[in-house]
Amino acid sequence: MKPVPALAEGFPDLSGMRIAREPHWFRWLSAALIVLVLAAIVRAFAGGQIEWSYVSRFLTAKVILEGIVNTMVMAVLAMALGIVLGVVVAVMRLSPNPVLKTVAAGYTWLFRGTPLILQLLLWFNLALVFPTIGIPGLWSARAVDVMTPFLAALLGLGINQGAYTSEVMRAGMLSVDIGQYEAAQAIGMGRLRALRRIILPQAMRVVIPPLGNEFIGMVKATSLASVIQYPELLHNAENIYYANSRVIELLIVAGLWYLLVVSILTPLQMLLERRFARGTLRLAR
Amino acid sequence: MIRLSLSLGLAVLATVTSAQAAELPAEIKQAGALKLTVNSTYAPMEYRDPATNELVGLDVDLANELAKRLGVKIVWSETPFAELIPSLQTRRADFIISGISDRASRRETADFVDYLATGPQFFVMADNAAKDATDLCGKKVGTTRSTSFPVEIEKWSKQNCEPAGKPAIQYVPGENSIDVRNQLKQGRIDAAVQGSETLPYAQTQEPGKYRVVGEPFAKGYQGIMFRKDDAALREVVTEKLTAMIADGAYKAVLDKWGLGANAVAQPMLNAAPQ
Repeated sequence: MKPVPALAEGFPDLSGMRIAREPHWFRWLSAALIVLVLAAIVRAFAGGQIEWSYVSRFLTAKVILEGIVNTMVMAVLAMALGIVLGVVVAVMRLSPNPVLKTVAAGYTWLFRGTPLILQLLLWFNLALVFPTIGIPGLWSARAVDVMTPFLAALLGLGINQGAYTSEVMRAGMLSVDIGQYEAAQAIGMGRLRALRRIILPQAMRVVIPPLGNEFIGMVKATSLASVIQYPELLHNAENIYYANSRVIELLIVAGLWYLLVVSILTPLQMLLERRFARGTLRLAR
Repeated sequence: MIRLSLSLGLAVLATVTSAQAAELPAEIKQAGALKLTVNSTYAPMEYRDPATNELVGLDVDLANELAKRLGVKIVWSETPFAELIPSLQTRRADFIISGISDRASRRETADFVDYLATGPQFFVMADNAAKDATDLCGKKVGTTRSTSFPVEIEKWSKQNCEPAGKPAIQYVPGENSIDVRNQLKQGRIDAAVQGSETLPYAQTQEPGKYRVVGEPFAKGYQGIMFRKDDAALREVVTEKLTAMIADGAYKAVLDKWGLGANAVAQPMLNAAPQ
């Protein structure tokens, strides 16, 4: 063995030595364990009381496809309603007018304070309270003809969403530096104009991630509308297994579709985030 | 065909075993308790008493009497109607007695010991003009979507409305019998369908509100549902039920719930016509 040349007394030269790789025993072990557990789960599903032929047969069945379309239509419309309400209520909440402030706080309190499924059932059974609805002297109709499962679901989901979105919007507006408000005022902008042109565009950047989150929640919350007979994905899957008793098979079908939709939505949210962060891309990284 | 001969074989086997006094499966005997799962939204078959929140009903009374005679307790659990069959398959329940109709389509997964005559029954709000069931052709008729009634309504409509040159019944789904009656009250539907065994109770809750139209329009039975491979348990329960019918305990329970007219003469295995 070659003697190690001394640099100085007590300091051996290590430059010629190989760096040993750390073995990472625990990483290997934990990864192996996880793979093992996953394999066991997959094996259990493959061998369980599941007739996979039903899953593949119903995955693209017409009622299921109609269900996913209805789910998406409802999620988009209810979210749109929720965002409109959310913006209006957030602006009301931050206004100096005490009446507007109180109404906004009351709305959030009421619709955030009761379960969504309860609200859906109330909208659906509204005709027990208002047998006919309309504008006096102009137009009226039987409540049950107006309050179809579609409208009951839209109002229930959208108005409930508005209560949550208003808080997201308020957070976004509060995140904009106070100097921006003052500067807008200094150049003579009114409150609403400043909101529209200065504050909201900047708030958007902050609210997109939580709104994306809420929208993904909404896609799945539409399944609650199954109890008021809105023919969305879960409702239609249930109808199939009510008839053929293949419960888990149809739940897997519905689950796969929800997963697919959410997997598509996630990158879309990223694109949207990038678009609204144009002015601050440095920070976004 | 294989399935048929298999179930015939099972039936033969079952009668053979029943010749000697049938015994509870060891697992249940050891636990000292039956696990039973019900869907408690179907008064008076099984529901939660509004005053006490106790699980009560005709099925509950029958099951309690059965358990007493078997010398075991009952551990109750609850589930949506559509989850009853999975509860049986996954062994969450030892058997199911929960107002479920014996249907050929359900016999693929379970055996039924029929214990109560039943049939789907049209009813309307008391002030509705409909006199005969055929007056409901072309009308909106609602029922619980997780039951066998939607199929029965469609079949009845095909057999009765179309030959008379009337438009078919428009089926409207509901979530459970309470939801269906709510839809009826709001005028969302013109008529509703429920098992004939549940209507007397509904009428005591809201006197004078509803009116029955015609007779139950299909003959059927409620059945106690067993796993296909659980012939021993099925036999021992059938035996006790037969004894209950013979000594009047069965009749007493039915009379208590105003359903004496729905009694059967003896328990029957998979006997419903459809």
